[in-house]
Amino acid sequence: MAKVKIATDWLAGCAGCHMSFLDIDERIVKLLESVEFTSSPITDLKHPPEEGVTVGILEGAICNSHNVEVAKRMRERCQILIAVGDCAVFGGVPAMRNLCGTQEALKRAYLETESVVDGVIPDSPELGTPLPMVTGIDKVVKVDLFIPGCPPRADAFYYALTELLAGRTPVVLPPELFTYD
Amino acid sequence: MDTVTITINGRQVDVPPGTTVLNAARQAGIDIPTLCHFPSLIPIGACRLCLVEVKGQRNPQPACTFPVTQGMEVQTDTPRLYEMRKFILSMLFSERNHFCPYCELSGSCELQDLGYRFGLDHFLFETYTKPFPLDASHRHLVIDHNRCVLCARCIRACSEIAANHTLGLGNRGAATLISCDADAPWGESTCVSCGTCAQVCPTGAIIDRRSSYMGRNRQLDRVASACNRCSVVCAMKVAVRGGRVVRIESDWEAPVNGGLLCERGRFEPLHDERERVTEPMIRREGRLMAATWDDALEAAAEKLRGAGGADLGVAVSGDATNEALYTAAKLFREDLGASYLGLLNRNVPKLSGRSGTLADLATSDLVIVVGVDLMKEMPVAAYLSKRAVDKGARLIVVDDGDNGLAPFASLTVPTSDIASAVAAAAAAGRPVVLHGGVTGETAEALKKIADKASFIAMQPGVNAFAATALGFSGDGRAAGTKVLYMILGEQTVGQVIPGPFTIVQAAFRSPAVEGADIVLPSAIWSERAGSLTSTDGRILKADKAVEPAGSAKADWEILALLAQKMGKKSLSFDETSQAALIEIKGKERA
Repeated sequence: MAKVKIATDWLAGCAGCHMSFLDIDERIVKLLESVEFTSSPITDLKHPPEEGVTVGILEGAICNSHNVEVAKRMRERCQILIAVGDCAVFGGVPAMRNLCGTQEALKRAYLETESVVDGVIPDSPELGTPLPMVTGIDKVVKVDLFIPGCPPRADAFYYALTELLAGRTPVVLPPELFTYD
Repeated sequence: MDTVTITINGRQVDVPPGTTVLNAARQAGIDIPTLCHFPSLIPIGACRLCLVEVKGQRNPQPACTFPVTQGMEVQTDTPRLYEMRKFILSMLFSERNHFCPYCELSGSCELQDLGYRFGLDHFLFETYTKPFPLDASHRHLVIDHNRCVLCARCIRACSEIAANHTLGLGNRGAATLISCDADAPWGESTCVSCGTCAQVCPTGAIIDRRSSYMGRNRQLDRVASACNRCSVVCAMKVAVRGGRVVRIESDWEAPVNGGLLCERGRFEPLHDERERVTEPMIRREGRLMAATWDDALEAAAEKLRGAGGADLGVAVSGDATNEALYTAAKLFREDLGASYLGLLNRNVPKLSGRSGTLADLATSDLVIVVGVDLMKEMPVAAYLSKRAVDKGARLIVVDDGDNGLAPFASLTVPTSDIASAVAAAAAAGRPVVLHGGVTGETAEALKKIADKASFIAMQPGVNAFAATALGFSGDGRAAGTKVLYMILGEQTVGQVIPGPFTIVQAAFRSPAVEGADIVLPSAIWSERAGSLTSTDGRILKADKAVEPAGSAKADWEILALLAQKMGKKSLSFDETSQAALIEIKGKERA
């Protein structure tokens, strides 16, 4: 049987969810018997293949126009999209920005911070444009499975993937793996 | 009709009339989710999570406020209710900042628990991003309105339990806020810092500065304890982590103070930074020098062997445990024949009359407070008196000066006018008299209602009830003794008594310790097991929560070791506890 292809990517996050995923430890070897990781931010191949994957995993919140692009590209190229971590699910820590507003946050970070000398707010065309509101990814693309947690437990990743491999959708996380922090 | 029969989810349940559907269901072991409900508070049906379907009612009804009627048919767990509850919960999550990862209460938050229970794995609605204020002006408590679900538990606790009415609701609709004195900063409000609001808050909206972020609920151990700050002796639970006291909570099950503590009991012990006595010391060549327990006890024993009878005195502070008082009484009075057994705190002689307990305040219709400022000295007794006022009782304060309860009294009279207070009590149904030390004339006047009223002597010393019962009746001045044994406990006010050779058992450095000849370090309230007797005769037991500082030992244990050194019989802790209880209760009956 052909291996199931999985791609991961990250948005406004801290990489902690990817680290937690790696905490499945030696179980990844067993997983690799039936899946192929095509691309991820921590491998040489960064972008999900154009021919598509079965499962797409996204970490991080929607915070700027670049995040929107990455989320939409993943959605187009995968059949099942999983939002992992509180940022992707709820907005998480980046969404704290919503309480003061994007412009205020930029001003504080780049102009008013005590260590800043001659500060400017970055506006290079190569950078994504900050959005007025930080949200979970479900406000931009359709999400098939939410795994909250900061980060989600390694067991939650393993559980979700093994459930999908066994053909069980939707995946219902057991209570001990369902956590907001 | 004694009981009403209803069916819940097809099961028959018999309950007394007037029971709510929620309590009936709980009695039958049927779980209905709640958020604003708290067993010790009057239900208000604010959160709507307990909605149930009642046959014949057009709409679902809140179980917490809906009374049962004969033959009622209730469904608590239908798909429609599940969807409604999930919807309500999603609305609550969308109203304010309910992100868990950076909240103090994550892990013991009732909103979070409900989120898990209803599988809310993402927000159904946009989150509300308007920041709400945070009030950190209070010296012990912080309210973050962003975490508030407007369940009004804090408001109800402030009114119903503390009878203080500081907290209320301000604004309207989604902008509603918990407000203090109609919009004063919390720190400048009429708040008495009892902390009950923080203990009932289901989310991380009200947290206390000292214990916040010091450990998740699951990382804390709870130890039963008894407050030794005043003679009300409130039952409490001590939250401990890593050998440190993190937080003090009230015990909801306690018969008198259930749910209630005061600032002195809940917060001040956590801020006690007085210097401890951590090792035994013996005066050598004019200076106190560190010594081993064995040497210090031997030196003390030797001195005590040489003294005895008229030469020997013992003085105890009010916070000595029943066990210490019993062991001291046995050793010094029975074995050594000490001439003087004194109490460092003034003892309030009980006025003749029916002995009452503080629980009587709950059913009283008239409360006379005379010769004591309860607000200052025994705040929880003051709150209980105010609670009686809220229930319709009259409060009469008899005081020649300022009295903290005067603003809540229906009548405040000087002691010269005690007769008018007595006349009012004579006309009342169940009067209660809370008295401090009073003059002979006042005592005489109060005799008129001796048969009718419950009398409670409000002792200034914490364990003065037990001390008096065990024979410590001296006034604190040990005239003529050559050897004085002082059990100071946590008291630091003791001054140096010139003349006698002094052996001091103390937890903190103080002039009395500096002037002593032998110093034995004693454990503080959290570091020892022991029982205390309240001013109305209840005996409350505290367990040891943390290890003593340095080589300090429990007050009774030091005395037991000393007795052993002197070749006298000593009892185990449990034996001492039991013997003390019998003696205290026996004296009370006599």
